Amino acid sequence: MNPFFKKFSEKFIEGLLMISGTVTSLTVVLIVFFLFKEGISVFNKKAVEEGYVIAVNKSNKVNSISPEDIKNIFDQKITSWKDLGGKDSIILFRLEDISTYFTDEQIGENFERLPACISRVVDSIPQIFAFFPEKYMDKNFKGKEIEAGKISFNTFFGGKEWFPTAQPAAQLGAKPLILGTLWVSLGAILLALPLGLAAAIYMSEIAKDKVRRVMKPLIELLAGIPSVVYGFFGLVVIVPAIQKLFNLPVGETGLAGSIILGIMALPTIITISEDAMRNTPRSMKEASLALGASKWQTICRVVIPHSISGITAAAILGIGRAIGETMAVLMVTGNAAVIPHSILEPMRTIPATIAAELGEAPNGGVHYKALFALGCILFVMTLVINLTVEFITGSKKYKKH
Amino acid sequence: MKTMKTKSIVIALSLYAGVTVAQKLKGSDTVLPLAQKEAESYMKANKSAKITVTGGGSGVGISALLDGTTDIAMSSRKIKMTEKIKLSDAGKSTKETIIAQDALAVVVNPANKVTQLTREQLEDIFTGKVKNWKEVGGDDLTIVVYSRESSSGTYEFFKEHVMKNKNYASSVLSMPATGSIIQSIGQTKGAIGYVGFAYVEKEVRALKVSFDKGKNFVAPSMVTAKGKSYPIIRPLYYYYLSSVEKNVKPFVDYCISAEGQKIVEQVGYIPLSK
Amino acid sequence: MKQVDENKLAKSKKRKQSLAFFMFGFIGFVIVGILLTVLSFIVFKGVSVISWDFITKMPEEGMTRGGIYPAIIGTLCLVGGSMIFAFPIGVMAAIYMNEYVRDGIIKKIIKQMTNNLSGIPSIVFGLFGMALFVNKLGFGDSILAGSLTLGLLALPVVIRTTEEALKGVDDTFRHASLGLGATKWQTTRRVVLPIAFPNIITGLILSVGRVSGETAPILFTVAAYFLPKLPTSIFDQAMALPYHLYVISTSGTNIEESRPIAYGTALVLIIIVLLTNILANFLRKYFGKKVKMN
Repeated sequence: MNPFFKKFSEKFIEGLLMISGTVTSLTVVLIVFFLFKEGISVFNKKAVEEGYVIAVNKSNKVNSISPEDIKNIFDQKITSWKDLGGKDSIILFRLEDISTYFTDEQIGENFERLPACISRVVDSIPQIFAFFPEKYMDKNFKGKEIEAGKISFNTFFGGKEWFPTAQPAAQLGAKPLILGTLWVSLGAILLALPLGLAAAIYMSEIAKDKVRRVMKPLIELLAGIPSVVYGFFGLVVIVPAIQKLFNLPVGETGLAGSIILGIMALPTIITISEDAMRNTPRSMKEASLALGASKWQTICRVVIPHSISGITAAAILGIGRAIGETMAVLMVTGNAAVIPHSILEPMRTIPATIAAELGEAPNGGVHYKALFALGCILFVMTLVINLTVEFITGSKKYKKH
Repeated sequence: MKTMKTKSIVIALSLYAGVTVAQKLKGSDTVLPLAQKEAESYMKANKSAKITVTGGGSGVGISALLDGTTDIAMSSRKIKMTEKIKLSDAGKSTKETIIAQDALAVVVNPANKVTQLTREQLEDIFTGKVKNWKEVGGDDLTIVVYSRESSSGTYEFFKEHVMKNKNYASSVLSMPATGSIIQSIGQTKGAIGYVGFAYVEKEVRALKVSFDKGKNFVAPSMVTAKGKSYPIIRPLYYYYLSSVEKNVKPFVDYCISAEGQKIVEQVGYIPLSK
Repeated sequence: MKQVDENKLAKSKKRKQSLAFFMFGFIGFVIVGILLTVLSFIVFKGVSVISWDFITKMPEEGMTRGGIYPAIIGTLCLVGGSMIFAFPIGVMAAIYMNEYVRDGIIKKIIKQMTNNLSGIPSIVFGLFGMALFVNKLGFGDSILAGSLTLGLLALPVVIRTTEEALKGVDDTFRHASLGLGATKWQTTRRVVLPIAFPNIITGLILSVGRVSGETAPILFTVAAYFLPKLPTSIFDQAMALPYHLYVISTSGTNIEESRPIAYGTALVLIIIVLLTNILANFLRKYFGKKVKMN
């Protein structure tokens, strides 16, 4: 063969391989770009639904109001302006209520006289608290528009309430969701990692070949059980068991989620770490045994250090599966957005929230963006876990030499 | 991007030109089983029709209408003012057709002694004011509230209609599907929740409800729902653009015809009264 | 310090070791037991539904009768499509990382990125697939968009397992080949890959298993609830088994009647995974033998 051509084709193949090598990096960069572009734009958005205004009568002394107070007013937990520094009781007004004040004819077929009608209502009732589309604000509106602040870093991460569809001001406090995700996935990995490693060691080092040959494909097969099935199984079997065992009012708890996720992560952890362990060269093992080390010592000092990068991969993939699993968790953890105090309480995780709410959130709105922001948080969480695992295994490698 | 889409549409159309009337339905998961069955039997009668049914949620359906990626949006709630404004901003006008009614039943665990509740009591329970069954005449037992996910039309309808627009308590457990609500209520003693009337099974018991401060309590059934004496009842909608009315009309008409309404009852929803 | 009889020490050591080994074995069997429980739960409930009609007919009577043929075809398309994309790229990326790049900053970055990618939740892949393939590139809800999304999801699994397989090949083989004057690519193709091939197949199985059961990434990129006809091009929507299972076990008013179909669907999904496993195991053995013979 032509040596030039040979060299060229060698270079060409290397280039091709390099491009493939960068595909994952490229994907990550693209995902980060898309995720963060949408997610970060949630901050500095107005807390009041886009395109809407809240307004009061001109005589009202209140000038600004927090989103939380708005929700409480609409829930009728606050019923008087006195609580907010004004006076008299509050009369609520939504756009739908216009029909109690005016007839369809007065409003006009294409809502052409609606702005004037709204202006008149707000002007005539001193106690009013009105909420309507900005579009229908009259040019010479006689009421007073009031501010409700913007969504900030603090309210998003520190807020304790998650009511993304609350009108007129969505409550976007991600704290319960972040905590819920952490509790459930840490619980899962604490259950699955030791069990998975034990099983992997058993299969690669202790078990007879016959046992291994049955066990391994069986476990590989079980990685293919769809998550909806695990979720359903968890709901029917594990949830009632937890309820009885701990004598709880509800069985849908973080623990149920952890157990199901742990089970789901097991096949991944076992197959990958077992493969890594089996790749320890036989010469190394035999050398260790020949030097008088016991089998146990050989496993601890030779097999595990040699396969540590594979075990790391197993742990990361396992956590990846646990932290991002959506459908199964959705069915067993109860999804209550409250800050958890123990693993025996219902919890709501970030992936479950995204999966359940994305379909219904209006494209491009605050809720939609908030869900992308949650996606960013999830991404950062997995990143931190990956780096931690890498760091731990990296420092161990060092000791070995 | 647009050209590619149009291209593939053009190719699809040219393949079936003349013979096929292709239609896409997208939206509410509540309407999904009904629309699927209607489409199935409609296609049996009209061999040339080709109808695709996709879920996703009422919001997804209506925003697909705006993007032009669906012909009919299925919805379990009335189109929102914001959505209407968006559509009219884009220069599109929609037609609305009510295709069936759905009654919501309030259900509890069969072991629960409570058999009836007023609207006010329901509101207190779902907003978290009342936390124990003994406060509404039952045993000393913590109330565990199950609800649908906040994204579902069912969630919003219940919030508007029963809770008078107040927000659910944050401790409410939300489930992704009606099936799991039934399962959970069946195995949790202090549980309460709401499901479509068609779903009520042995595992749970439906409560009688009163919307007139306790004067009349009505149990959900096909008869009370048809006669409108049962109060928690909502319409299910199809929305489509007026510009494509000619294409979709035959199918929509089939859905509200006597034959189509028979299917409504088979699926478990309440047929339209004439 | 007290002098301990050496014999006694050895004995107690041995006892401890066998106790530990017993525990490991026990845990191994318990795990298999748990997984088998889940499996038999589905088999037990689903087996009565499975019939020739079930896997070759279109759904009827509002998904309570008839078969799941279009969903099976859809899933096969998606699995095939995603593997056509992910398997070659994943294997090539792993070869690049293990055989070509020296330890250093580039390798570290690529490795870190791959790890990060594997940590990204499947629902985020769904979001991303919707934003990039469906909207930005204009593929619409289509088999193409779904396959690419699933392929990205499977990529890190393929890469990591291939890397492990390549690492398992003893360096002496490489040195011998290079010493005989073979180029790097020749060494990789003729020596390293054939030895590592049986283990690379494991990566393929794992990713097929993962891809065929995913619901979240296809939710917004390809899945349809009901199609009157099979898809005819990669720009068509398709039904898929996991989504079908999800949707008939969550919506639909007749839970009692559609539940058997749900179990049947789950069972078919598992059988597909089982068949891939058997095929892969066969390939693993076949290539394993071939390597030994050479």
